[in-house]
Amino acid sequence: MPVEQVVLATGLRKRFGKRMALDGLDLSVTQGQLYGLAGPNGAGKTTLIRTLCGLLRPDEGEANLLGWRMPSARVRSQLGYMPQDYAVYDDLSVLQNLEFFGGLYELRRAQVRERANELLDLVQLADRRSQRVGTLSGGMRRRVSLAISLLHKPRLAFLDEPTAGVDPKLRRSFWDHFNGLAEQDVTLVVTTHLVEEALRCHIVGFLNAGRLLAQGTPDEILAETSTSNLDDAFIVLQDRGEAAR
Amino acid sequence: MKSLAVMRNVLRRIARDVRTLALIVVLPLFFVLLYGNSFSGSYHDLTIVIVNEDNGLASVRTAEVGRVTLSVNLADAFVSALDPAMFDVSTSDDPAIATASVEETGVWAALVFPRSFSNAVVNEAVRAGGERRVEFEGDMVTLLPSDPIDGPKMTLALDDGNPLIADAILTAFETAFSQVLATQQSSLTAEGLLDVQALHEGKIRMLDFTAPGIIGFAMTLITVMLTAMSVVRERTSGTLTRILIAPISAWEVTFGYTLAFSLIAIFQAAELFLASTLLFDIRFVGSPGVVALLILLFAIGLQGIATLISTIAKNEAQAMQFILFLLIPSIMVSGVFWPLEMMPATIRPLSYVSPLTYANAGLRKVMLAGGGIGDVRFELAVLGAFALVMLLLSVLSMRRQAYTA
Repeated sequence: MPVEQVVLATGLRKRFGKRMALDGLDLSVTQGQLYGLAGPNGAGKTTLIRTLCGLLRPDEGEANLLGWRMPSARVRSQLGYMPQDYAVYDDLSVLQNLEFFGGLYELRRAQVRERANELLDLVQLADRRSQRVGTLSGGMRRRVSLAISLLHKPRLAFLDEPTAGVDPKLRRSFWDHFNGLAEQDVTLVVTTHLVEEALRCHIVGFLNAGRLLAQGTPDEILAETSTSNLDDAFIVLQDRGEAAR
Repeated sequence: MKSLAVMRNVLRRIARDVRTLALIVVLPLFFVLLYGNSFSGSYHDLTIVIVNEDNGLASVRTAEVGRVTLSVNLADAFVSALDPAMFDVSTSDDPAIATASVEETGVWAALVFPRSFSNAVVNEAVRAGGERRVEFEGDMVTLLPSDPIDGPKMTLALDDGNPLIADAILTAFETAFSQVLATQQSSLTAEGLLDVQALHEGKIRMLDFTAPGIIGFAMTLITVMLTAMSVVRERTSGTLTRILIAPISAWEVTFGYTLAFSLIAIFQAAELFLASTLLFDIRFVGSPGVVALLILLFAIGLQGIATLISTIAKNEAQAMQFILFLLIPSIMVSGVFWPLEMMPATIRPLSYVSPLTYANAGLRKVMLAGGGIGDVRFELAVLGAFALVMLLLSVLSMRRQAYTA
């Protein structure tokens, strides 16, 4: 496998009871790509991310990250993961959360402080660093969660709806940051519901019922669906998916 | 009515949770069965040693033919009168060895009948009860009281480390003696015939006897609840996923948990012991270091149980029910209130798999009898193995949680 192909999944199948969450899915993401995963609720986006990260074992198929077959302990230090839940300690302060997870990635205290300053500026929580996370709003907690995910400068990051509950201005600055990271060869796989976010991705994959119905640049998706905007394109793709079932 | 809607909603949610539903149905029945079985037992197979030096003869004055020698064999009669189910009787020729066996080999009691036991009892019975007619070589003769015999008493070396068993043994002996003395038409009581030599200095109260088990149980509840709740909360909040995706092994996570909760357990144990001794003057004659070692191994094992519970439980409520299901019975079967010797055979296997049984036994040996590390090596070995196995299982369970978080 070429090294620049940092995510390579083939024939992923995952069933929960009678429901097929991933249905023979193939995915390839190259280094420095900002890959947007779009699709309706229950399409399998979170299951795909968890399977790729090695948190779920696929029933069939395999996933390789950074050249290692998952689950593999070797990629963990280079992997960033922001789950859909907040996944933060409510009873600790913002900084204490960052310090704990930084410690797990073997960052020294000074490194954590330096990164914390950068990331708390990004997520606009610098003035809340000593505040207990449990006292923050839902959107702010998500921002703490994002800061934790990027703390150790991962080569590959999976961000599951990082902008949910975040106001438009801050959302834009997040995406500026994601694009900046991609320019530094960091690979990002980001799930989103929002069309304007999908437009900022290099590649968009449209997932429905555990299948990747379409994949390409936003322009390619528009051309493939013969639509003029991604909103319509997604509706067309969703209708196609339902018709195919 | 809105309250009915709330009630319906609560019941519907419980009905959807199969594990909770099963526990609601099974738990009460389980407790009743366990409680009934634990209480329905009786003492059996208590090991005692008898040294019978009694020659079985009684020399008594008679009104008709002067002094006669009667063959009465009262010591043999006593042994025959003992409940065979309750006692596992062995015999010895050496009083010193028999008495030492109480201290050294787990024998509950050693009873030494002196050579002139039958003689002393018969003469004392006649003296206390007045003239009495018995058959001697085909004729009836009248036994006459003689001067009081300062006859040697029976010596009973008794392990009083377990006051319940010690009392049960004394009661059983008194019953057997009463039967034997009744054959001599005597109003004598066993008390006057027994010289009891208790193994431990000072009386061991029921409070002292139960304290180690209660402390162990308190530790069990607190440690398991705290650990299980913490792990379940880590999992449900998503932080466990975050930890397990980081470059840290399941072993390191588990060991981190173990370190944290061992420190808490040791602190709690110190608090429990200190409060018990200061407020209730609990007997504590052994080494605090050995107690700390027992507690540490016990606590590590308990954390393993807690981690396993947290793997099975989907949420904190389920974890709580599993804890109740597993831990409340442990206090019934681990010899805390009722000695293991009293447990029915159906319950005993549960006693032997309960770690509290060994923690309780070890703590008792140290706290009540002043036992050293050598005296509790069996308990340390069992608790050590328990801790190791549980630690390994919790590492595996932590790995599994990575895929279920």
